[in-house]
Amino acid sequence: MKNSSLWLLLQKMRVPFIVIVVTYTIAIAGLISLDGIEVDGKIYRMTIFDAFYFVTYTATTIGFGEVPYTFSYPQRMWVSALIYITVIGWFYGIGSLLSILQDKLFISEIKKTAFRKKVRKIREDFFIILGYNNVTKKIVGKMLAQGYRAVVIEKNPDRANELVLENYVPSVPILEADIYDPKALELAGIKSKYCKGLVSLFENDNLNLKIAITAKILNSKIPLAIKSTTKHMTENLEDLGVEIIENPFEIISQQIQMLLTAPSLYKLVRWMHGRGDLRTMAFHLPEGKYIICGYGRMGHEIKNVLEKNNIDAVFIEMDATKKNTFSKKEQGEILFKDADDKEVLLQAGTEDAVAIIAGSKDDTTNLSLLSIARKINPNIVTIARENDIENQALFHYANINYVFMPSRLLIYKTIAALIDPIVDKFIAHAVKQDETWAKELLGMLKAKVGDNPSIYKLFVDDQHARALAERIKRKESIKLETLTRSRANRDERNPIVALLLLRKDELYLLPDMSEITLEYGDQILFASDRDAIEDIEYIAENIHELAYVLGERN
Amino acid sequence: MNFDKLISGFFIILAMTLNFGFFYGDLSNIELHSKYELFAAIVVNLIATTLKIGDKTQIGSVLLATSLVADIQLIAAATIWTIVYYTAGALDTHTTSVVISLSGGALLANITSVILYIGETIKSKR
Repeated sequence: MKNSSLWLLLQKMRVPFIVIVVTYTIAIAGLISLDGIEVDGKIYRMTIFDAFYFVTYTATTIGFGEVPYTFSYPQRMWVSALIYITVIGWFYGIGSLLSILQDKLFISEIKKTAFRKKVRKIREDFFIILGYNNVTKKIVGKMLAQGYRAVVIEKNPDRANELVLENYVPSVPILEADIYDPKALELAGIKSKYCKGLVSLFENDNLNLKIAITAKILNSKIPLAIKSTTKHMTENLEDLGVEIIENPFEIISQQIQMLLTAPSLYKLVRWMHGRGDLRTMAFHLPEGKYIICGYGRMGHEIKNVLEKNNIDAVFIEMDATKKNTFSKKEQGEILFKDADDKEVLLQAGTEDAVAIIAGSKDDTTNLSLLSIARKINPNIVTIARENDIENQALFHYANINYVFMPSRLLIYKTIAALIDPIVDKFIAHAVKQDETWAKELLGMLKAKVGDNPSIYKLFVDDQHARALAERIKRKESIKLETLTRSRANRDERNPIVALLLLRKDELYLLPDMSEITLEYGDQILFASDRDAIEDIEYIAENIHELAYVLGERN
Repeated sequence: MNFDKLISGFFIILAMTLNFGFFYGDLSNIELHSKYELFAAIVVNLIATTLKIGDKTQIGSVLLATSLVADIQLIAAATIWTIVYYTAGALDTHTTSVVISLSGGALLANITSVILYIGETIKSKR
């Protein structure tokens, strides 16, 4: 049934209704059977309507007095009794109604109904976001800014209220329910044709897996962005067919790899994520001995990277009680913290280390470790893991050389993967290249477009590039290079670099613009400046502009 | 024995029998139809309706619908009677027939309700 809140109300009002009906009936029956006073020589007895009228205003305590005639004593005696019966019955009814209206179950039913209505009204692409916290808050903000809608499911009422107070425009419907409840996911519109993805970035890997399974069963077509922190879980998710698997620690190790061997590549990726321009120097990791505090999931990933690059490193596990969870080999390699911070750092050889990475789960521990390390060795390069976005200011003032923030990486990764899949694809392929490739591309971008090129995506289809699509359908051959011509003078070339061209199953990284012919359904990623992007838009959309740049008219 | 079933069955059938009691008799002569019986029929019908409320099953919804129809028809009959009585002083043949036939309609709804109720009882295995 659609309106379960109404049914709940009615079912709970059963007894009060019956009580009111019965008390009224007793009162009315008594009144009509009792003799009234004498009027015009005849005993006046109340009609059913008289009695109903009297009981109605007496039971509701309005009390108009004795009508139509003054009552006889037997009537008055009955009335004194009926007042107690009917008034109590009436108040019981009202009281029940009020308590039902305040009932948690009832209120949650009402909220559910309102939520479903709001979700149904959404006629734009939207994403379902599970859990409302500092990370998803940023994701919601970015989605709205890009013209998408968001729907949130959160179990904790306090956090749900936080979202309500945020006053998002357009509004973000929120449901207070268990995140892995299939019914909640259905209410949130997972089966809607406007739903373009689901985001689940919980700390608990098993919870994420559970959600992925549920979501895939409900609607296998919807892209899922799921967080995973272990290899094992990633494989599980891959088997399920999850489209976007985000492992923050893997991203971090990838970043460290880039910082060690390919700083230009790092710069490029950062620019693609919109976190800086091409000019800003990338942080350079020095060569020498490293100290890594914290040997958890992130520590393991860092170890792999450092080993691959033949970098000497000392690992410290901050929690000595975990010693037995490691293998014998690892126990020999890792230093366990059994004294205070300073002693352990000295033991690890902080004096002659070049860099220290504080990668524990606790922000305070990370900050204090780095400040102690600096006291021991003032020249040491400090790198910290920041767990909570709220602590940003703290880390900023601590003057740490480089801060890794797994949660921020998740935000950029999610946004890119869900909203700009082509950007995500480009990054995924770019990180596989080497420093020379990145340096060349960086140099070309800087020389051609400038220090901070804009990113532009073009879909060659009827909706986004009408003029182009029309000609391509007529089997005309149009080169990608056509789009780089200037609308003012077709012999001039706009500063445009094509980064990626996606065609069904094929993928062209940095396609040669004068070689490649456009096909219907192509997706192209450009880096360019504002004016040139406007030119591309006009040429793609407008048949006259297209005819001009093709040299068919003046 | 299911006490809930006993109560609701009692009221559903009593609603029909009282309704029939009021309806039975000459259509044009109000003397043959007791107003007290109409009053009782309305009260029992209301109680029967309340007992059917909140059942979300298919049969429960149809039962509720029949009861609501009976309520509306009976209350309409009582209202017309009261209005005409207090404005015109007495009921003419036309109004009488309207009041009685309204209750006749309610009787049909009540009979449907009872048939459904019996059908459901027979269908259930216990």
